[in-house]
Amino acid sequence: MATATENAPAPPGQYPPHPEGLIGGSYDTVTLGDKIADVVIGDYPTPKAWWGWFLFGFALLQALVIGVAYLFWYGTGVWGLNQPAAWGLAIVNFVWWIGIGHAGTLISAILLLMHQKWRTSINRFAEAMTLFAVMCAGLFPLIHMGRPWLAYWLFPFPNNMAVWPQPRSPLMWDAFAVSTYFTVSLVFWYVGLIPDLAYLRDAARNRLQRLVYGVLSLGWRGSAYHWRRYEKLYLLLAGLGTPLVFSVHTIVSFDFAVAVVPLWHATIFPPFFVAGAVYSGFAMVVWLAVPLRHYYGMKDLITDRHLELCAKVMITTGMLVTWGYSLEVWMAWYGHSQREWSATMQRMWAGPYWWSYWALILTNSILPQLLWIKRVRCNELMLFLIAGSVHIGMLFERYVIVITLTRDDIPGAWGRYAPTIWDYAVMFGSIGLFVTLFCLFLRFLPMISITEMREFLPFKQGGRDGHSCMENAK
Amino acid sequence: MPAEPTAPAPAARTEPELFQSVEQWMDSAKFQELMRDEFPEDADSWLDPVSRRNFLALSAASVALAGGCNPSLRPASQRQVVPYVDQPDELTPGVPLFFATAMPQQGGVGLGLLVKSREGRPIKCEGNPNHPGSLGSIELQALAAPLTLHDPDRSSNVTLGGNGSTFEKAVVAIKNELTASKDGTGVVFLTEPTTSPTVQRLMGDMLKAYPKARWARYEPVGRANETAALAAAFEKPANLYYKFDAADVILSLDADFLTTGPGAVRYARDFGARRKVRLIEAAEAFHRESDEKAKAAGREPHFHPPKHSKLLDRAAAKMNRLYVVEGALTSTGAAADHRLPLKPSQVEGFARALAARLGVPNAAAPADLSETAKKWVEEVAKDMEARKGKAVVITGEHQSAATHLLALAVNEKLGAFGQTVAFSAPLDSGPANFDLKALGAEMNAGKVNTLFLVGVNPVYDAPADLRFADAMEKVKTKIHHGLYVDETALPHCTWHIPAAHFLESWGDVRGYDGTASVIQPLIAPMRNGKSVIELLASLLNTGEQDPLAAVKATWQPFFDTKLDAKLKDQYKAATYPSPTFERYWEVALRDGVLPGTAEAATPGAVKADKIGDKALSVAAVKELEIQFRPDPALFDGRQANNGWLQELPKPITNLTWDNAAMVSPATAERLNFQQSFAWTAGERGRTETDMAELTVMGRKIRVAVHIVPAMADDVVVLHLGFGRDRAGRVASPDDKTNTPGFNAYKLRGTDAVWTAPAELKRLNERYFLAVAGAYSAMESRRPVRHATLEQFKAEEVFAQVPGITPGEYKDLRALTPGTVENFNMLEELRKTRRNAEAGQPYKHPYDYHHEGEEEEGEGGHAHGHHDKRLKPLSLYVSNPITVDGQDANIGYRRWAMTIDLGSCIGCSACTMACVAENNIPVIGKGEVSRGRAMHWIRIDRYFSIPTGEVLEDKLGGEKVSPAERKERIKDSAAIRVHVQPVPCQHCEKAPCEVVCPVGATVHSADGLNDMVYNRCVGTRYCSNNCPYKVRRFNFLQYSDYTTDGMKLVNNPEVTVRTRGVMEKCTYCVQRIRAAVIEAEREWDKKKPDGSRLRESDATGRPKVYDGEILTACQQACPTQAITFGDLNDPQSAVLKTKAEPHNYGLLAEINTMPRTSYLAAVRNPNPNMPQGA
Repeated sequence: MATATENAPAPPGQYPPHPEGLIGGSYDTVTLGDKIADVVIGDYPTPKAWWGWFLFGFALLQALVIGVAYLFWYGTGVWGLNQPAAWGLAIVNFVWWIGIGHAGTLISAILLLMHQKWRTSINRFAEAMTLFAVMCAGLFPLIHMGRPWLAYWLFPFPNNMAVWPQPRSPLMWDAFAVSTYFTVSLVFWYVGLIPDLAYLRDAARNRLQRLVYGVLSLGWRGSAYHWRRYEKLYLLLAGLGTPLVFSVHTIVSFDFAVAVVPLWHATIFPPFFVAGAVYSGFAMVVWLAVPLRHYYGMKDLITDRHLELCAKVMITTGMLVTWGYSLEVWMAWYGHSQREWSATMQRMWAGPYWWSYWALILTNSILPQLLWIKRVRCNELMLFLIAGSVHIGMLFERYVIVITLTRDDIPGAWGRYAPTIWDYAVMFGSIGLFVTLFCLFLRFLPMISITEMREFLPFKQGGRDGHSCMENAK
Repeated sequence: MPAEPTAPAPAARTEPELFQSVEQWMDSAKFQELMRDEFPEDADSWLDPVSRRNFLALSAASVALAGGCNPSLRPASQRQVVPYVDQPDELTPGVPLFFATAMPQQGGVGLGLLVKSREGRPIKCEGNPNHPGSLGSIELQALAAPLTLHDPDRSSNVTLGGNGSTFEKAVVAIKNELTASKDGTGVVFLTEPTTSPTVQRLMGDMLKAYPKARWARYEPVGRANETAALAAAFEKPANLYYKFDAADVILSLDADFLTTGPGAVRYARDFGARRKVRLIEAAEAFHRESDEKAKAAGREPHFHPPKHSKLLDRAAAKMNRLYVVEGALTSTGAAADHRLPLKPSQVEGFARALAARLGVPNAAAPADLSETAKKWVEEVAKDMEARKGKAVVITGEHQSAATHLLALAVNEKLGAFGQTVAFSAPLDSGPANFDLKALGAEMNAGKVNTLFLVGVNPVYDAPADLRFADAMEKVKTKIHHGLYVDETALPHCTWHIPAAHFLESWGDVRGYDGTASVIQPLIAPMRNGKSVIELLASLLNTGEQDPLAAVKATWQPFFDTKLDAKLKDQYKAATYPSPTFERYWEVALRDGVLPGTAEAATPGAVKADKIGDKALSVAAVKELEIQFRPDPALFDGRQANNGWLQELPKPITNLTWDNAAMVSPATAERLNFQQSFAWTAGERGRTETDMAELTVMGRKIRVAVHIVPAMADDVVVLHLGFGRDRAGRVASPDDKTNTPGFNAYKLRGTDAVWTAPAELKRLNERYFLAVAGAYSAMESRRPVRHATLEQFKAEEVFAQVPGITPGEYKDLRALTPGTVENFNMLEELRKTRRNAEAGQPYKHPYDYHHEGEEEEGEGGHAHGHHDKRLKPLSLYVSNPITVDGQDANIGYRRWAMTIDLGSCIGCSACTMACVAENNIPVIGKGEVSRGRAMHWIRIDRYFSIPTGEVLEDKLGGEKVSPAERKERIKDSAAIRVHVQPVPCQHCEKAPCEVVCPVGATVHSADGLNDMVYNRCVGTRYCSNNCPYKVRRFNFLQYSDYTTDGMKLVNNPEVTVRTRGVMEKCTYCVQRIRAAVIEAEREWDKKKPDGSRLRESDATGRPKVYDGEILTACQQACPTQAITFGDLNDPQSAVLKTKAEPHNYGLLAEINTMPRTSYLAAVRNPNPNMPQGA
């Protein structure tokens, strides 16, 4: 145990640079806490861009509200769904958002257990991203139902109708997987927030803030008992969250893999989907981190090094996904099933949607190859653009899968699918919901964990140079 | 304090007099109208959930009812009100009653029907097995009739100049008019052709009463050319019909005889019966013969199975051969063994050449016949000569009188008269003495004062050059009698009298062979209609007002004087020594036919001198030529306001809600027309096409172009019946831009009745057609399997050769329930169970390997010959439940279906019957164009080009590039058409069931794939996972919950589905359950001797007899291509079809184990015919 004098914080502005480049500037626990908390308690003026983004998101949110109202009034027929293509953009969006929702828990749970210190700066907003993305995702299976008011029938509940969910259906597994994932992510996020909320309560500038944060911090006093329990719980939740990262997208992939539709019916789907999810999740982290760095001056906390690490995760998962694409084609050919192979041909060149397949390959497999070049992945703008390409690519990936329905087994039943304005209303509206929620999160909750960042500070700066719960566990 | 109101003094008070009945009291016309019309309009609101307003209204209504004022109830009899306190004898609520009646169709010819009535409302028409024109089958128009009956747009008021009046007033006014004319000068009756002896009798009386009055008959799709040819050939009228059961070789000259025209249902049945190749039936026949022989010789029966080749020969010998020469592409053409696309105006030349070849005098082959046609003439002539007496030529109504005459001469030459061609007394005989053309001229000359338009709509459908609407302006009084306030009725006619639907009226009609039927009403007129008989009887001063009495009065003399004495003797009542008419009448009502009414005729020899008569011919058109045809669904447009007909994907073209100028791909390319699939639904919905200006004889309309492969080049086919201006909200909605189709009658004239030169000019405008299933090529898949008879004989299991996955033939067969291999597999399962019960370890069927598999050598798995994937590889262990000692997994009853693609002609009667039976909603053109057609039976249509390569279709085959495919589809002569009805396959391992999160689609113990509508939450996962894509989703609120009349047509045994719910074919589960309940009820009852009223089956449970349950599609099918029954019943017909070698399960290789399977099509082409012809 080091003595107090050894650990005394050095004066501000005098600390050496972080060896891994994971934190810039010269922070000690106090300045670091203030830096993050000032945004929330109002000492740091709300950036003009926040208003721009919030209003943009809020306006788009209205499209969702109107789109869902119209949908509920008339029925799913307002979308472009039809007989061969009974699923459309709604399911594409569902899988897309669930995928995005992956990075948060991966970062906060798996990277924590892996002793990846760099997760600390990004885990809070990534977890918030997860929650909001899962909220957006969860919306779609609900509203895409023909009779959404009966959605609760997917859950086992005691009733006098003697009805019960049908446990062989992946959709029922979905209901469990997604709701479990959301619950655990929410609890994990909230537990991590508690010391920060207490900090905000103590730093509050007015009565309202003190009241709200005081209630939310659940009586946290920072006693050693509190810390001990907090850290244990945090670790346990990380352990609980880890399998969920894999399970949720595995199960979402079962929605397709369990079906007999050619090219859906593939054992490769679970790992392929999980890789894709992490891929899109990190792309979204990049998309959120870059504006934060700019508008809130967080370049010291979310450093270039963080962005590069995200880029490296992206290139890894991107290659996994590309491997998956090639395996799909290989299996169709090698499996010697004419239906699989001709469905592949339809998908790649003979069918009307060949362009969406190649758009997918371009945006998801080819363009991200640029990330191999260090100059590119360290360039904020280029990284941002490539992450955007991945967003589009992942959307196309799910689109390509879903529209396989239009040309499956019997040519006499073939058709086509095109989304209508109401499909797009809920799709872009869900982006509005996400942006709105995220803006509100930035304004009212600490976007980066104050507690963990303080722990993460090097010893010299008053921190513990890592995640205390992990170091304690050691 | 204000003075209290006081009652007026008794003298001043108007005291209502005492009354007994409402009619007595309320005699004012205005009030009567109020009674009739005000309340029924509001009746729909009574059926809505009770709101506060409705509650009050209902309370008020109760008060009104209590007061004896009963405006909204009109009992069926109108004479006596019988409340349900004492239940009518024959009626049990919940049990349907069937009544025999007949529907007058083209030419007034009747089709015998059995109509299902539920609690007094007719809901479904089915064929009458006793009627020679039906034999239990039915066609589209009759199937759709109940919807027209309940159509809320039907006219319900007598009107005078558009204002309300009454029938009584109309009769008085019209009678005055007739009286004023004294002898009927200037009075003309224009009616549709009628075969009704009663109408003919009454019209005869009418013309006797007003001798100068005249009677013309008109129908847009008439058989005038045939009538003219018959008159020319025999110098007297006759009715011609065919006997296809006796025909080995059939040549159709532009006749769509399997789906259109009088007798089509019977023709299709006779034809279809000879398109079925059945080895098991052949074997049974051998067995029977052997037994009979032994019996005759007094020996003990001992059956030696015949040689397999003999069996095959016997099964094949039944096959007939069909040659079709046509310009359009029809169901008949699609069913043909050889099909020659020829311009309609050249068909006469073809007939002439054929007649010349067969030695008919005065016939000479035209010079301009194409080489292919010449080869055809030669081969067809040879084939027909070889089967004299068993060959027949049939000519379409679109062909010239000369063609009909030539065909008659050829038939005579081939010895067909009396064999395959038969004659009866003319059907629409009657004192008609005028025609439409002459009528037009007289009207224009102002010589017509009073014009009766009975059941006709000439303003819409008369030849355009007659300018009928203008001519009508010159007529003083015009009286219209029809179901609708149509184009003729409202702006042009003085009086409009609503007609009673045939399901509401008494009448009589003759069938295609002259057999008369009684038209029996199923319900009192719902919209105040009067039948023709009532109208005529009212106008005649004979005092005959009761239509039933009028019909009886026609048949009483027939019974008394004309009926065959032997037949007559059957109708002796116990109490009467002499035959009585009443008994005869009752039998006629019950059976639906008047016995002994078909009058055979022998018109004698064909007079050949008219054969060269130019007046009967139509000149061959060199350039582009139009052919008008009745629409396969709407026919001539008489039922245009019928949503079922409008929405039905038309046979072969799959077009809905529109007609279009149809051209072949080559012609389309020449004229620069293009067609593409829209992004929104593509092949299964929206086809975008060019608009064109179509000019015929100087008359022009704008019309959409539709490209149809296999049509003759340089022909435009335009179907009649569309583009109505005033027909109701379906056929002519208020928003005129959405009116379905284009009015072809605007082009048609007396100078261009069927064919004429035409000009088709592309307009720079696009139009979209709702085509439910337009994609045409097979894409190297083999959903439809087919072979020639020769190929079948050489390799009878041709349909089993897996087209998709490599695998073993027997394994694929095992995956098709009902086959021998499948039974063997089930036996294995049973063995497993017995082993398990005996304490041996349970073995999942997946664990079963074939014998010696583990050994080295051929057949071992090292060689890859055994594909285990094809075994039933369910993850779920077989359900070990037993019910009454029966293995529940194997099933006590196993319902199954086979569809014979060889005899299916794609007529869509099955789809329409299913619509009527199962309350399938009409969704409109917009929704169809979004790919959401709701029909439970989809009829897939594919094209192929036969090549030298056996079995494989090059068109759409793997080796053919899309570009080459596009090139090949232009060769109309070489294209083959295949149709395949695809309902739910009721898979034993149904992929849909596994994926439903709420268990809304589940398997029943007898193997039905059930849909639980009220459990469905609408995730649509089942539809995605259905490899056949036969599930249908209610994307919007499709079922009509609001229109009053539309509710009454629904089948109460089938749930009306709400929005957001999946639906699909149920094998008519309501019919199955009803039959099983009935069987169990009877089985429980004991006869006096203690035995059961119904026998037990092999398992000791109530037996459901084979054929006791008919699905709606099976019942309707004119060719009897559908077989349904229980696979566990060893005697069932379906089991026999399942065991046929060419039975195959669609996509059986993906382990769905479909209960519905297909019998591959076996065609019988002439081996001498040139390739591709």
